[in-house]
Amino acid sequence: MRDGTVRKEKEMEKSDTLKFAGREFRSRLIVGTGKYPDYRLMQQAHEASGAEIVTVAVRRVNLDRSQESLLDYIDTKRYTLLPNTAGCYTAEEAIKTSILAREVGLSDLIKLEVIGDQRTLFPDNEGLLKATKVLVKEGFVVLPYTNDDPVMAKKLEDAGAAAVMPLGAPIGSGLGIRNPYNIKIILETAKVPVIVDAGVGTASDATIAMELGCDGVLMNTGIAGAKDPVAMAEAMRHAVIAGRLAYLAGRIPKKLYATATSPIEGMIE
Amino acid sequence: MELTINGKPREVTDGATITALLEELKIHPLRVAVQLNLEVIKRERYEETTLKSGDKLEIITFMAGGSG
Repeated sequence: MRDGTVRKEKEMEKSDTLKFAGREFRSRLIVGTGKYPDYRLMQQAHEASGAEIVTVAVRRVNLDRSQESLLDYIDTKRYTLLPNTAGCYTAEEAIKTSILAREVGLSDLIKLEVIGDQRTLFPDNEGLLKATKVLVKEGFVVLPYTNDDPVMAKKLEDAGAAAVMPLGAPIGSGLGIRNPYNIKIILETAKVPVIVDAGVGTASDATIAMELGCDGVLMNTGIAGAKDPVAMAEAMRHAVIAGRLAYLAGRIPKKLYATATSPIEGMIE
Repeated sequence: MELTINGKPREVTDGATITALLEELKIHPLRVAVQLNLEVIKRERYEETTLKSGDKLEIITFMAGGSG
């Protein structure tokens, strides 16, 4: 039984991959670099997560004190860096940040965030769509962080986004997938991959996202903020695989009443 | 000469190129992007780009942060 499970997992890793913009990844989990107590722990958590894409912020170099570089703790031969525009509140800021990010990493990938409100960190739809259009024209592979809004997701896809990344819940909230029905509708309409970004608090949240049929899950705080980030990273790895397998396996329909598991025939009289 | 680097004034060697400046600041050139007076300078041009007093530079890198 266990052998069978492992085999299935291996097979799945080989054939069932996350694909966007001509790139292919075996892991459907994308992890962050923020909020870890230290870089060594972050590195161990990345390892345990099995993730192949790691998201990073784009900031001014700190000139005044020598500090360890994040990049000393990410093997870029092994991990694909996904720079994000976190902290940008206008399309212009996000575009400028993306262009600089491309120069740092020499990659066209960008996780586009245009934030509309400081307290909720909800996206600014107008700015997000505008920045997506400009960056797609500039040749970027744009992965926009968006609301769980099917209409917006469609607009982003039409604007050329390589994937859409609806939030499960506010960034860092750990509230899980608050509106699975909207995510389901986005999945029905989108032709590009759908990656849930933000809100995952524990393993079951990631599994729910994957069971819905999402192509991937991005999380940072859920792992970095756990009491034991390395253990949580491993839990998330399993959760994403479990959710994906369950989705592919096809769950039974929900019914109100019991259906007997044992045959009625041959009962002892 | 005085430059403005990342929003702060800073005294550096006169007539430095971007390559020399990064060396002086002990910054790995492959890990940053440089914007000079609002123009993003490609890495292959660091060597030939000479800075002058009053130039405004932004030196950008990847840092920890992930949202989600």
